[in-house]
Amino acid sequence: MFITFALITLLGALGMLLQKNVIVAGLFMVAAFFGVAGLFVLLANPVAAALQIIVYTGAIMVLVLFVIMMLNSHEEEKAQSSRPVQRWVSVALVAALAFGAVKLVLASPGLKALAQSGAATPEAMTLQKVGVTLFADHLLGFEVAGLLLLAAMIGAVALTKRNL
Amino acid sequence: MDKLASLLHTTPAIAWMVLKVVIVFAGVMSLAAIFTWVERRGSAMIQDRIGPNRAALFGKIRIIGLAQILADGIKMFFKEDLIPAAANRGLFFLAPFLAFVPALLGFAVIPFGKSFVSGGTTYHLSVLDPGNGMGMLYPLAIGGMAVYGVLVAAWSSNNKWSILGGMRSSAAMVSYEIGMSLAVVSIFMTAGGYDPAEIIKAQGHQPWTWNIVRQPLGFIVFFTCMFAETNRLPFDFAEGESEIVAGFNTEFGSMKYSLMALAEYSHMMTASALIATLYFGGWQVPFVKDPSVLLSVACFVVKLVFFAWVFVWIRWTVPRFRYDQLMKLGWKRMLPLSMVNLVFHAWRMSQGH
Repeated sequence: MFITFALITLLGALGMLLQKNVIVAGLFMVAAFFGVAGLFVLLANPVAAALQIIVYTGAIMVLVLFVIMMLNSHEEEKAQSSRPVQRWVSVALVAALAFGAVKLVLASPGLKALAQSGAATPEAMTLQKVGVTLFADHLLGFEVAGLLLLAAMIGAVALTKRNL
Repeated sequence: MDKLASLLHTTPAIAWMVLKVVIVFAGVMSLAAIFTWVERRGSAMIQDRIGPNRAALFGKIRIIGLAQILADGIKMFFKEDLIPAAANRGLFFLAPFLAFVPALLGFAVIPFGKSFVSGGTTYHLSVLDPGNGMGMLYPLAIGGMAVYGVLVAAWSSNNKWSILGGMRSSAAMVSYEIGMSLAVVSIFMTAGGYDPAEIIKAQGHQPWTWNIVRQPLGFIVFFTCMFAETNRLPFDFAEGESEIVAGFNTEFGSMKYSLMALAEYSHMMTASALIATLYFGGWQVPFVKDPSVLLSVACFVVKLVFFAWVFVWIRWTVPRFRYDQLMKLGWKRMLPLSMVNLVFHAWRMSQGH
């Protein structure tokens, strides 16, 4: 199961990168999101999987595709000149990020707990637990994020509608 | 079940799972097919016509025109499969499936009957057993995927009418999803759980304790949003026959069109099942405390068919909305209404009833 979902995610991401047509690339990205949702289910977190599909594929990608369809050009533009320096800098940055991410995962306490035999298997996540964590442990962060989104929304409305 | 399973060289669990999947999907698909005919007969009834009553099996057995479904199927199979020259071929092939699969999948989590115990194991009458952790989030997630069928169909046929239909309907679907989700959230709150089995149990068997009585405001919002989600009249902005030819499925013909149409009706079935589960007690039989399994399934099917009929009924009774009216209704009426509903129930719960 893990291999299937990992392959869906990776192939979706690869297809998105290699595809020249922007809309097809967007659909590949949807496939990658589905793979990630499947991985969440395997990690005993069906709530995250459902939210992933509702928020990312159901809302954000639809809006992105919507905007792309509004624009007339559906093909990627050719670069005017190749930029070797920028290319190598970006490759180095991505490599550093990937290295850091792998190191973080390998150093996490969860991984050590997995190695111990007879350790308690984690319980599946439920919506109730997510709610309690959000409103009890991370209340400040949650409210700040909400406020930030509200500010962004008001800003977008104010920018597009000059005379209300 | 054990005997059948050993005959087929599988475990009872797998045999039961396969049986459930076949029953649910075959049932929903055949109901959807029957409703393509019910829609035409119903519209005829409402408009004082007769409707399709001529098709007959072997030219003799007429059964009030029910054979029309078979005749339509055969006709669709033998039509020429046209693909527009400028279409994106791959996506054009994919689009009917993207429309059809989410419409069917949404049904998987809905319990269509009472769970029963046989030989020491409990059998649940829903494809995904209760306690799967997804609960009612699953149909919401899958419902969000339905947009892609319309969007991909619209874009891949490379036709201006199609793209107009696709854009309008995707915008409408995304806007109405918010109001719908808030209405569902207030049900989660009062039921104390988000699993359909818990929601049904919390409603009880008396009709006056069902959510329709407890949350009439939420019901109005959810019901309206379901019409926008299924792209049915009065909100059929994907098709809009009177203004943009046939909208997103202008270029689709033969079996592809047939799949699109079936997807719409399967969506209608899933929507009616959701309405029945969330607001009308699911499989609970009114006034019967402990119904038998068959009775509970029958009661669920009756509710399902009734709401599917309401979809048909409203389509042929209420005139279409204009696009700006639809958006105004979604954002300025439905969203505030469902927020009022949510805050009211939160306040009532905080007062401890």
